[in-house]
Amino acid sequence: MSEEAFLSPVEDTVPKTGDVAVGEDLEFQRAWWRFERGIWIFFLLLLIADLLGLFGRGWLAKAKAVDQSQTLSLDYERIERANTPSIMTLHFGRAAIQNGKVKVFVSEEIIKPLGAQRISPQPESSTIGDGGITYTFAATQPPATAEIALLPSFPGAHHFRIQVAGGQPIDGDVVVVP
Amino acid sequence: MTLFEFVIVFLMGGIIILSTVGNDRSVTNCTCAVIAVGLLHRATAWAKSKSPRIGAILDGTPLVMIRDGEWQQEVIRGMKIRPEDLEAAARTANVTRVEDIDYAILERNGRISVFPKKDA
Repeated sequence: MSEEAFLSPVEDTVPKTGDVAVGEDLEFQRAWWRFERGIWIFFLLLLIADLLGLFGRGWLAKAKAVDQSQTLSLDYERIERANTPSIMTLHFGRAAIQNGKVKVFVSEEIIKPLGAQRISPQPESSTIGDGGITYTFAATQPPATAEIALLPSFPGAHHFRIQVAGGQPIDGDVVVVP
Repeated sequence: MTLFEFVIVFLMGGIIILSTVGNDRSVTNCTCAVIAVGLLHRATAWAKSKSPRIGAILDGTPLVMIRDGEWQQEVIRGMKIRPEDLEAAARTANVTRVEDIDYAILERNGRISVFPKKDA
């Protein structure tokens, strides 16, 4: 009912059903029911996509990357959620361990946009430069792994690079959803 | 509102609040959130007053469930109404038997208005 209704004499402005002014609009309601059916199907698909990991934290979100020289393999989530923690795991191959050390370069995108909170184990040293940080770990024999805890703050798409000294770089993309 | 619906409303409120304020629990953020919700309410009320179609989209439209003592099957099925719901509404209107109902209308707020037959 618009404001004009209050300017006219007091009378029913909605269609009557028998003696009762109901204002039923069955045509609109039928259209609404059709719309509702579509929306519920959409919601169901949304839920299935979420369970599969299309919006992070699921099967579709998990990614694995290996460099060509087999020095490093990476487990990470290609779809992250903002303000939600995740772990990026680095598996070092035999060739990555040189003189009891592993040197791994991590690009700036992992530190800032993807919100690296901590790296485990604690590296012996961290060196900044070349658009990222190079961590040095003491190491003996494979299997050898390190973990980076991530907590992205904002949505967006980010390209990152990780490279072990003596190996090929691994380039990856992470999409952070709200 | 049934107990289950009551729980659903509070559960949704609790979930929505997580993303509304996020990690920022400052008085500033909470005040702005409250003002934003208030403005949203004001804006929708204004839009409804300007357009009956927007009112129908936001609040729904009244639906006749019983017309001249006859069930309106399309509405009953579409709105998933149970006979118990109508019987409860009839009792509220001091009507003891469903067959004494002339008109029953499902209102926009979910209430059922019952009009008894004149000779009932």
